[in-house]
Amino acid sequence: MKHFITLTAAVALVAVSNADDPKTVFQVQCAACHAVDRVLVGPSLVEISGIYRNNPDGFVQWCMKPGRKRLAGIEMPSMAAVGEPALRQIHAYILKEAAGKKEQKATGVDPFAVPRAQVRRPQVQRMFLAEASPAAIAVALPGDLSYCFDASECRLRYVWKGGFLNASEHWLGNGSKQAAVDGEIIYRETAYPLLANEGNGPDPGEPEIVQPVKFTGYTLKDGVPSFHYTHGGIPVVETIRPLPDGSGIERTFEMGGNPPGLKVVVAAPARVESSTGSLALTAAQAKSFTLTLRWK
Amino acid sequence: MIRQLSYFAAFALGSALHAADFQIDRMPNPPGVDPQIGGLDVLPDGRVVAAFHRGEVQIFDPATKTWSSFGEGLHEPLGLLVESPSSILVMQRAELTRLKDTDGDGRADVYETVFDGFGMTGNYHEFAFGPAKGPDGSLYIGLNVASNGAGIRPEIRGQWSDIGELDQAGMLADGGFGKRAGKAGRMYSRVPWRGCVLKLSADGKSMQPFATGFRSPDGIGFDEAGNLLVTDNQGDWRGTSPLYVVQKNGFHGHPASLVWTPGWDKGDPLKLPVDELDKLRVKESARFPQGDLANSPTQPVAFPKSWKDYQGQVVIGEMNQKRLVRFLPDEVGGFRQGALVPMMDGTSLGNGNHRLVFGKDGALWVGKTHLSWAGDQGLVRVTLSGEVPLIAQSVKLSKSGDHHAFTIRFNRPVKAPTTAPLIDAFGYKYHKEYGSPKTDEARLPAGAFALSADGRELKVEATVRAGLIHRIDLSGLQSSDGQPIEGRLLYYQATLLP
Repeated sequence: MKHFITLTAAVALVAVSNADDPKTVFQVQCAACHAVDRVLVGPSLVEISGIYRNNPDGFVQWCMKPGRKRLAGIEMPSMAAVGEPALRQIHAYILKEAAGKKEQKATGVDPFAVPRAQVRRPQVQRMFLAEASPAAIAVALPGDLSYCFDASECRLRYVWKGGFLNASEHWLGNGSKQAAVDGEIIYRETAYPLLANEGNGPDPGEPEIVQPVKFTGYTLKDGVPSFHYTHGGIPVVETIRPLPDGSGIERTFEMGGNPPGLKVVVAAPARVESSTGSLALTAAQAKSFTLTLRWK
Repeated sequence: MIRQLSYFAAFALGSALHAADFQIDRMPNPPGVDPQIGGLDVLPDGRVVAAFHRGEVQIFDPATKTWSSFGEGLHEPLGLLVESPSSILVMQRAELTRLKDTDGDGRADVYETVFDGFGMTGNYHEFAFGPAKGPDGSLYIGLNVASNGAGIRPEIRGQWSDIGELDQAGMLADGGFGKRAGKAGRMYSRVPWRGCVLKLSADGKSMQPFATGFRSPDGIGFDEAGNLLVTDNQGDWRGTSPLYVVQKNGFHGHPASLVWTPGWDKGDPLKLPVDELDKLRVKESARFPQGDLANSPTQPVAFPKSWKDYQGQVVIGEMNQKRLVRFLPDEVGGFRQGALVPMMDGTSLGNGNHRLVFGKDGALWVGKTHLSWAGDQGLVRVTLSGEVPLIAQSVKLSKSGDHHAFTIRFNRPVKAPTTAPLIDAFGYKYHKEYGSPKTDEARLPAGAFALSADGRELKVEATVRAGLIHRIDLSGLQSSDGQPIEGRLLYYQATLLP
């Protein structure tokens, strides 16, 4: 019992000395985002001291109506609810805490980033990417090719050679930064390559069978995805694999329902061959075929 | 000074003692995985399924304390629901996805798109939450509005809304967007269903827009009575963070998503008079005072039977402050409102408490994240150490003569207090600015109080003020055997008066 009383008295004294003092307010209102000598969510107390040492008014104004000093950072929420008197005390507290301290440089290292040579292949990663809708999917193929499939448009958008993704800034920040492809884009596909060809002969005037499209997901076999979608109500399964020599890709299409005859169109300089021997496919051939695409 | 000393002594000692009420165990993180948890559920065998920041879905075995991989490659998953050990629903940025293990090797080989019928501009703030499963098996998802911290991408998904000061080109995240951002709306909804809660059929094939008016509805879940609860975050139009009992077809206060109301013909909702918006909106069922209680509340989950005295209550996570929050529901005039109470203060729980789920054995699993804001990471297990501490189980507002009265029910008899608990009322502004100072602050005059014969019900008369939060201070209250109360401040939201 005596033990308890001593503990109570000791804790109580500390508590009383801390009641609503700037340190306590700082802990509740600020400490989740601001550390003494390093960037946490927002700048360090060392940096804040440097900006507002002789400008408590400016400090209070910023806290009441904050903006954004770092474009890559997130915007601070208003601290108007804390009230001006407490903010002035926090200003003094920040100067005191930061006195004599130096900014610790952020390492900027992403502990979960995988070096290019160690990227596990094959692999699928949905991600914000340039030159695609926000519903983009990145796929690393065995070898050194990767591609972007767009789940919004249900089509291949581009292929790149080299590594997979540089996504650290996306993951370490609030998600505003798109990932960059780690390599060189060597092929861009500007439109879905399959056109309806009801007459079963070359007729470039035929509309694409792309509308409406609906993405229904993907299945994995040994890590390689097969994309499932419908084009004009026809269920399609498309699987993309690298050619053994890396000079292009092989695209397998399986179509359900009653697909129309098709015409395969790919913009030059890319070249395409069909397993059916012709780029004009009969309705029967359209049920299952493979395209071999080379970009050089 | 003496009075202050005893007040803090009770608080400090109370906190120290409550550290022993809960057993808090931090679990190991899966190797090589950024351990920020966006979705969490349990399998029937007691294993825990977590979805991580960078898209992994892994299963934790509490017996061996090891993780195994179920899936990967998702984009910012922020909700997870187990259908069976081989079928798991995950809400990611672009869609609700069903991960299925069809060959029995313990890893998903099918990633089936269950629902993607909502828009995306590519703005980072368009997070997606849920699904919460309703009593009828329907699935509910919540969609964030975009933030003018950034613009939109050149390619978007979904129908563009022309309602807004800037056209689509003006909203582009180019080098000049920063200068135009002021015209974008602090938060904006320019593609379908941003800021809405959607109801999906169990198979995901049909969708019903369910409610509008949300900003960042990270917490979505059902209480024991089958009410859909959504928490939202302080910001524009959110003076402080609210808890809503979601009303079908209701507008829940943040105007940007009003444009997606079927038949909307009132133009730019940001241009409507605040009074008109205020009349249109569903009022908060509870509010979390910013800085005092919670800054970014997260998932609401009903306590299971195994948490004994907590039954009928809801536990809610919190990102910024080192605590959880309990919601004690009340019903006034057919409207569900109630009290929020801090939980686990003074323990080693820490902050970043994002996703909550109760295991079949009653353990409360807490998944943590920060996503570059305030928070933490990893998985924590919370269990009751022994006896449930002294807690307030319910707070009911009733009419009492010319006044009103709060009746606070405890799980155990308490010693009769010598003075009435202090009650402070305050509110927050409903306005387009970000956050709000407290308004209408007042200490209510001490009213009559009485303890019931069984010592478990304290009735306190008060001049309760409609619309305001009433903070009832139970510091110093003890059970008849001298234990302090866990959760000494009750924040009752008196949206309606009886």
